[in-house]
Amino acid sequence: MKYAFTAKGESWDSEIDPRLGRTEFILIYDDKKNELSAYSNSEITQQAHGAGPLTVQKIIDLNPDILITGNGPGKNAAEVMSTSEIKIITGAGDMKIKEALEAYKSDKITG
Amino acid sequence: MKEIVVISGKGGTGKTSVMGSFSYLGKSDLVIADCDVDAADLHMLLGPDYQRSEDYYSGELAILDQDKCINCGACLSVCQFDGIQSENGTFRIEAMNCEGCGYCQRVCPTNAIQMETQKVGEWYTSSSKVGSTMVHAKLGVGAENSGRLVAQVKNEARRHAKKEGKEIILIDGSPGIGCAVNSALSGADYVVFVTEPSVSGIHDLKRVTELVKGFSIRSGCIINKCDLNSQMLDELITFMADAGIEHIASIPYDETFTAAMLEGKTLVEYDKGPASQVLIKSWEKIKQFAETEGCLK
Repeated sequence: MKYAFTAKGESWDSEIDPRLGRTEFILIYDDKKNELSAYSNSEITQQAHGAGPLTVQKIIDLNPDILITGNGPGKNAAEVMSTSEIKIITGAGDMKIKEALEAYKSDKITG
Repeated sequence: MKEIVVISGKGGTGKTSVMGSFSYLGKSDLVIADCDVDAADLHMLLGPDYQRSEDYYSGELAILDQDKCINCGACLSVCQFDGIQSENGTFRIEAMNCEGCGYCQRVCPTNAIQMETQKVGEWYTSSSKVGSTMVHAKLGVGAENSGRLVAQVKNEARRHAKKEGKEIILIDGSPGIGCAVNSALSGADYVVFVTEPSVSGIHDLKRVTELVKGFSIRSGCIINKCDLNSQMLDELITFMADAGIEHIASIPYDETFTAAMLEGKTLVEYDKGPASQVLIKSWEKIKQFAETEGCLK
């Protein structure tokens, strides 16, 4: 299973970025390889408009099964998201990355 | 830390008066972020001291190098915005009209046109007269607010809240459903709508409710000027119940809103009349709602 997180940093101890479109980083955790990789989103956060759809496109390109984030996508971003099979899990806005993964696995946060 | 966003959908419903009063009531427990940057007016009520300012750059402007220009007119023929003016066979850029699209630069055969990023405004970190930190911005004439500027203001507010150990960030969002409103909502924990029982009030509330639902954020509504039209009021209350919006309070039309504004005061500091009493109770309710965990789906 491949998980994507919107994050404020690059490690398991980083906080979830509650924003999707202008998240600072996108983290990908592949549990088969037990590997956490970080992708900076700074180029997109510098865009004046349309950050949501651009970030979602970037996430789709990274091909995760599940996205764990704070609020979820806005209207335009949701439209792009609906072209993929990625499951969106919201409500992790106050958590660290490792806590968010645990919370998802124990059904404390859902779609 | 909780982000509470105050928005109205429609302009002129009394959002700034409500926002100003909440800022006054929350005093030093919060950090204030004015993200209604197109028509920033909260500073008139909260007296920020403009402690720190930073330039804000956004959008581009075409700059024409006359030495390289061969006066071919290619730029003029493609510009859709009257951004190129010709006079006696020479050309110049009309800065007020230029949209920054870059089409002229693309077609120029001698590379005489360069696109330059523009300083369109400033953003500030201030200490407000109520004692809390306030992050706000000011745009130049014709400059537009953007999701990026709102995100920047919010991020700075969040940084201060963290540093100062404040639990609440109170955000003033713009009317409408555009990019700036999306950016104000993204990452928020609770939304306070300020609306009025009128056709446009209800219409715009419905529009923005769709947006808020998409973000899965819980919300409540203050109905200002609730005695404006009883039929519209019924419609509004029915809509709110169906949409799962908490009815925080109703405020009858009250001229102290204007009187307080004329003195540059928030309503709750101006007097302790009925409208102020409603706002004091509302703020208590909102703090409780915001602290309740879980999102409304």
